[in-house]
Amino acid sequence: MTSVEIGSELAVSLTLNGATTSVRVDPRRSLADVIREDCGLTGTHLGCEHGVCGACTVLVDGAPARSCLMLAVQADGVEIITIEGLAEGDEFSPVQQGMVDAMSFQCAFCAPGFLMSTVALLAENPNPSTEEIRAELSGNLCRCTGYQSIVDGVERAVEIMQRGAQ
Amino acid sequence: MNGPISNRLGVDAKHVQTSGLGFVGQSVKRVEDRWLLAGKGKFVADRLPDGVAHAAFLRSPFAHATIDRIDVSAARRLPGVIAVYSAADINEHAHPFVPLIMLPGTYTPLFMPLSEDKVRHVGDPVAIVLAESRYIAEDATELIEVDYSDLEPVSTIDQALDPASAQLWERADGNVLHDDINTYGDVDAAFADADHVVRETFECHRQSNQPMEARGIVVEIDPASAHLTVTSTSQAPHAAKWAIAAMTTRDRPGSSLRSLLGNKTRRQNFVGAAKEFVKDNMASIKKQDPAGQKHQLKRDPSMLTAQMKMGLGLLAADDFPTVRADDIGGGFGSKGSVNREDIAVVVAAKLAGRSTQWIEDRVENLLDGGQAREERFAIELALDADGTFRGLRCQFDLDYGAYPGFPVSAAITQGMIKVYMPGPYRFDAYELHSRMVTTNKGKQVPYRGPWANETWARERIIDVAASTLGMDPLELRQKNMWAAADFPAKMISGPSLDVTMSCKGTLDRAIAEIRELDLDALRAAAHSRGNKLGIGLASYHEAAPGPPDFLDAITPGNDMLAAEQARATIEADGRIVMYTSQSPHGQSHATTYAQVVADEFGVALEDVEIVWGDTDVTQFSFLGTGGSRGGPIGGGVMKYSARDVRTMVDELAAEMLESSVEDITVTNGNIHVAGVPARGLSYRDLAAEAISRQSSSGGTATNKSGLAFEITRDYAGHGDGGWSVATHVAIVEVDLETGVVEIPKYLVVEDCGPIINPKIVDGQVRGGVAQGIGAVFYENLVYDNAGNPQATTYMDYLIPTAMEIPEIDIIHLETHSAGENDFRGVGEGGMIGAPAALCNAVSNALGVEVTTQYLPPAKILELAGVISPD
Ligand code: FES
Ligand code: FES
Repeated sequence: MTSVEIGSELAVSLTLNGATTSVRVDPRRSLADVIREDCGLTGTHLGCEHGVCGACTVLVDGAPARSCLMLAVQADGVEIITIEGLAEGDEFSPVQQGMVDAMSFQCAFCAPGFLMSTVALLAENPNPSTEEIRAELSGNLCRCTGYQSIVDGVERAVEIMQRGAQ
Repeated sequence: MNGPISNRLGVDAKHVQTSGLGFVGQSVKRVEDRWLLAGKGKFVADRLPDGVAHAAFLRSPFAHATIDRIDVSAARRLPGVIAVYSAADINEHAHPFVPLIMLPGTYTPLFMPLSEDKVRHVGDPVAIVLAESRYIAEDATELIEVDYSDLEPVSTIDQALDPASAQLWERADGNVLHDDINTYGDVDAAFADADHVVRETFECHRQSNQPMEARGIVVEIDPASAHLTVTSTSQAPHAAKWAIAAMTTRDRPGSSLRSLLGNKTRRQNFVGAAKEFVKDNMASIKKQDPAGQKHQLKRDPSMLTAQMKMGLGLLAADDFPTVRADDIGGGFGSKGSVNREDIAVVVAAKLAGRSTQWIEDRVENLLDGGQAREERFAIELALDADGTFRGLRCQFDLDYGAYPGFPVSAAITQGMIKVYMPGPYRFDAYELHSRMVTTNKGKQVPYRGPWANETWARERIIDVAASTLGMDPLELRQKNMWAAADFPAKMISGPSLDVTMSCKGTLDRAIAEIRELDLDALRAAAHSRGNKLGIGLASYHEAAPGPPDFLDAITPGNDMLAAEQARATIEADGRIVMYTSQSPHGQSHATTYAQVVADEFGVALEDVEIVWGDTDVTQFSFLGTGGSRGGPIGGGVMKYSARDVRTMVDELAAEMLESSVEDITVTNGNIHVAGVPARGLSYRDLAAEAISRQSSSGGTATNKSGLAFEITRDYAGHGDGGWSVATHVAIVEVDLETGVVEIPKYLVVEDCGPIINPKIVDGQVRGGVAQGIGAVFYENLVYDNAGNPQATTYMDYLIPTAMEIPEIDIIHLETHSAGENDFRGVGEGGMIGAPAALCNAVSNALGVEVTTQYLPPAKILELAGVISPD
């Protein structure tokens, strides 16, 4: 067993959904645990804690990252967006609204990961084909839906974004 | 403290969905998404009360061993550790898990929350740590010293059946916990008289429910009153409440008894409640078969002592825990159980005097969060030369794992397989010999359509028969399936069939769809890619809710469990608030129930609030959400209780508007005399009038509750809709180089009667099919010969992704019954039909009979003759 100094905390400062946030963390704590427990944003979920299910996906400087595999201390100085950072006030973002319209989810435990992965996908590729959507979202597991409704939700989000851009 | 869970974001003009046509039948958008997609869900792990302790379990690394010594002292000394409890520390304050459903020929071992003398599977919990963080709690588990002595592991059904194998449970007959034969009709005569008998043995591998959220529990202790509030991932919060209350109640029968006898009110309440229960359920109680209980008691009479202690403890208790189930991240049957860990966490929290959270991790969930389907069917089908089915005989073996599920154990899976096995077909006779064995593996739990493998085995043997006799498998099914003209009728295994058993309609439609396809062209195209194409079909019917005699066919007297209660209220300000005993975990009850209720009251969807999951405010239900009951039973009791309150509203409105009750109508919340909408009243007006009449009449119980209108009623589905049916069609293309199977077409033709919300139903169907695809091609919870689990992460237990699950087409047929409430369940069916249709399609593609359900690429190549079996 590696010995761990309890209480040897490091200061981490990051931008979380636009707000500058400073926390002191035990160096071994995951980014996911710090976002959920220290920052109180429990919208990010933990499905496996070993990097496969994707439920914990957040955007780190715009790119999707598994917050269960990343240490909080690695997030010093970065900008993080979580599911709580998507809506503008009460107004759902196009990706959220697309998923609402398509009735994409059931239990929605997987939803934070799918939403964040979709935001990243559409930022890169604003008009993906169905095959591209399926391939891009294959890093996220959903046990309830069989995925078709989630793919529909992404396509609906594309429509909403295109209408908004006109 | 947050309030009860409900569709809680309240009325929001922007989101109001209104419809003159009624909401039932429309794909109205989900109410739940308003919080779930905002990241504002309240899942169990999100509940972190101030000062909460985090729990972790030390689990056995051995499949089968005795515990010779345990030393927790080093773990206790680790800074940040609050408490460490060994099995002995915890079990001292708990009663054993005792069987609830006792089938003839079954012995169910009693067991404790933690394992003290002996471990029976890898992952068996032996100690619990409470610490300031989960990290420290896990560190501390590594400091606990345990000396184990290996015992011989039992890791397969055959090993368990071998009398020479080591025995897991001292009082069992070897490792066989259930051995029984059920015979319907003259089986020997049917087989002797038939022209052909087709035989095959089908084996299914171990699978796991794997909801994306694992299990968890948070126990909060009120510092002043010591009242416990338990937040749990339970599909059945009321069952969890009473199990926790009973199993952690005090252990001194003498003092319990004195407390009961010394308290006259409590005694009277008890006697009154008992009398009422017996009166309400007399018919069911009389029907119960005492053989199961006798068998159990012969093996282990200690059940009676445990029951007596728990019963007296409950009677003497002044306070019972509150159990809340908030948002739940899926369950698929695995969260219906009350877990050993739940009891251990409650006891630990009480001993430490600290609120405590335990969140299961994925490895633990794969070790013991729920396992299923490891079953074997040696099946014989007797049929005449013209294809008429005569008899069905099956030797059925189920691998139970180490510990019985609670409160619903493998016994219920056996019971359902017994009843469903003949499926939607006519037989003269049928016999099932079932054995359930215990092995050194995680526990068996119900998994979405727990009986589904009978459909797999039956639909496979029908295809085997068709190819053996040179018949068309589709026509063979058409010839033998019950048709509308046959009803009323009874399945050979007992339950009544009526018009809602419209399986033949789905079969005929599926066949018509198949005939539209140019299969030869599809085969040729696949062939040109070096691939093989095949088509497979499977049909089933399921009781959702089923006829009144369905539960009794599983075990007599069981129908007692069928009823569910709901409470319908209108508050003083006119808000309609409905209380359900269901515990949704993805099924969208807040939406579908609001649709049903809004239609009854003539209001907007957002004017209805649905409350669930809090045992302090919802009515008792043993079953909670499961068994495809949410639509028919939960939805039905919503409808009827809302209708009762609506009648009260209409009567008062008629008086206020000086009209007759029949003339009262409601449009978009405006209560008025038909044709005179301008002189209408709102629900708020009605509520105010009702309240003022209550006060002028001197105060009633309703008045005290502050509610304008209130009704509680129950409903068991009797007289209403019965069966939910479907036929699945799979077309597969097998790559002979890689062994990978693509699914270019998947079609479900289903009939669940009238649909509340089509998109939600489609989601249920597709999700079930996806799990069936996972079961056949990807998921295998394999153990090695020493009982070591080989799939303990998602690197090895492969959940299919968006790349593996194809588009799934659905055709809805809609047969109506005479019943007023005709909703039928649809949650389980996708998973029931898919493995059978897929394995039939692979058999068809490769021209060989598939006899195992797990078909990974290597197995496909072996079946195709590309590689030889190792
Ligand atoms: S929780 Fe991070 S990938 Fe599963
Ligand atoms: S909706 Fe339940 S896991 Fe995706």
